[in-house]
Amino acid sequence: MSAPTETHYGVLGIGPRATPEQVERAYRHAAGLYDEDALATYSLLDMEERQQARERVEAAYGVLRDAARRHEYDVSLGLVSASSAPAFASVPAVTPGPERMPVVVLPDPVTGADLKRFRESRGISLREIATASKVGIRYLEYIEAERREVLPAPVYLRGFVQEYARVVGLDPRPTAESYVARVVSTR
Amino acid sequence: MSGALALALPRPVRRQIWSIGGGKGGIGKSLLAASLGWQLARLGKRVVLVDADLGGANLHTCLGLPGPSRGLGDFILRRVERIEDVVVDTPFPRLRLISGASDVLGAANINYQQKLRVLNKLRSLDVDIVLIDLGAGTSHNIIDFFLISDVSLLAVVPEPTSIENGYRFIKSALYRRLRNAAPNPAVREVIDSALDQKNAHGIRTPLDLMAAVEREDPAAVARLRRELGEFHPRFVVNQVRSPADIAVGHQLVTACARHLGVRASYAGYVHYDDVVWRAVRQRRLFVEKDPDSAPAQEVRQIARGLVEGETLALAW
Repeated sequence: MSAPTETHYGVLGIGPRATPEQVERAYRHAAGLYDEDALATYSLLDMEERQQARERVEAAYGVLRDAARRHEYDVSLGLVSASSAPAFASVPAVTPGPERMPVVVLPDPVTGADLKRFRESRGISLREIATASKVGIRYLEYIEAERREVLPAPVYLRGFVQEYARVVGLDPRPTAESYVARVVSTR
Repeated sequence: MSGALALALPRPVRRQIWSIGGGKGGIGKSLLAASLGWQLARLGKRVVLVDADLGGANLHTCLGLPGPSRGLGDFILRRVERIEDVVVDTPFPRLRLISGASDVLGAANINYQQKLRVLNKLRSLDVDIVLIDLGAGTSHNIIDFFLISDVSLLAVVPEPTSIENGYRFIKSALYRRLRNAAPNPAVREVIDSALDQKNAHGIRTPLDLMAAVEREDPAAVARLRRELGEFHPRFVVNQVRSPADIAVGHQLVTACARHLGVRASYAGYVHYDDVVWRAVRQRRLFVEKDPDSAPAQEVRQIARGLVEGETLALAW
C-alpha cells in the first residue's frame, strides 16, 4: 500500500517538475488504475482500499492541477519559496521546461501503422497530439492511414510527422524522414 | 510534454533462457511462445523452443509439425543421453524445438536432481535463446523454470480471471524465490505462512511479508529485499481489443510496484485478430502466414524490444 505520508506527486507517480500535461496524464493513469472496474486492482485490493486509493488520487489531482494550490503545496514541501511565482515553471529546475524524456527511434521504414501502434501503446489519443502540436486531427488520421491522395506536399508532411513524433516520444527527424521517403516513393 | 519511453533494461547477453508463464490456461500462451520464437529467429537468433506445458503440450502443432517421436520426457527418463538428441528441426531457419508431446512432466513430479540436469543441459545448448513454454498453474516445476530464466515473461489476457491468476503466479514465484534465499527456519516459516491467504501474520502482499520478516529477524530482511529487487517479471498482454486493454499492461506494472513492491515491466501487447485463429485452423503460425498483420507486427516488436533490452514504460 502507498504510505500515508506520500506526497501528492508520489501518489500520481510524477516528479515535482511535472508539467500540467504530465499531471493530467498521470492522473488519468492513476484514476484508471483504481476505477471500480479496473482489471489491474480488482483482485489486488478490496473495495475499501480502492476507495481510499481513489480519494488519495483525487486529492492529489485537486491540488496539482490548480497552479495556485500547487504553489502553496510546493511551498509547504519546501520545494519553492513563498515569494516565487505560482506556476509549475517556477519549480526550481536546472533546466527550465518539461522533464526530459528519452526518445525512441522506430526501425526503418516507418509506416502509418507503425506510428499508430506506437501511439496506442503509449495511450495517447490523436486529439492530444492535435492539441499539443496544432496539427489538425484530420491530417493526423491521414498520416496514420497513409492516405496518399490527401496528404500535403512533402515539405509540410515532414513537419506534421515531426510534430506527431515529438508528442508521442519518437525521435522527430529520423521518424519524419523515414515516413516521408516511403510515402513519396510509393505515391 | 507527456508521453512514454522505451525504458532501458539490462541488455540480455548471449545464450539465454527465456520462459513464458501465465497462471491461466487458454490465453494463447503457446501461440505466443511459438510466434515469439519465430520472430526471434527472423531477427537472426538461433532459438530452441522447449515445450514444458505440463500435460498440454502442443507447441509442435502451433509450428505445423506432427508430434515428434522424441521429446523432453525421453531425456528426463534417460531414454536418450544427450539433450541434443531430442532437439528437432522446424521448417523455419534457426528455429528448433524440444517437444513435450511425450512428456512425463505432467504425470510425474520430476525431482530436484532431474530438474537441475535439464536446466544445465538447456544452458549448454549451442544456441542464442532457449525459449520455454510453461504450462498453466503454479506448480513448483513451472515456477522453478520461470525463476531460473534470464527473461521471465508472464502472459495475461485483459480478463479478470487471467489477471487474478497472473498475480497469483507472481506471488507464488516470488515467495518461492524468497524461501530459497531464507537464511533460517524461522524466516522460512514466515514465508510459508504467507502462502496461506488467512495466515496469522496478516500477510497479504510481499510488502506485508517483508514487514513480518523484519519483525521476526531484522538481519534477514536486507537479503530478502535484494531478492525482491532482482525479481523482474515482464508482462505480455495478449488478445487486446481496445486502447483500454493496452493500458492494462501499464496499470499492471504500476500496481505491482505500488502494492506488491515488485519491479515488473511491460514487454508489449498483441491484438485479438481473426488472422490468428484462421492460421491456427490451418495449423500454421500467424506470424509466418500473415507477417504484415497487426498481431504479427506486435510480436515482432516484443521480440525486438526484448533483444534490445527495451520495454514499454510510461513516463510523465
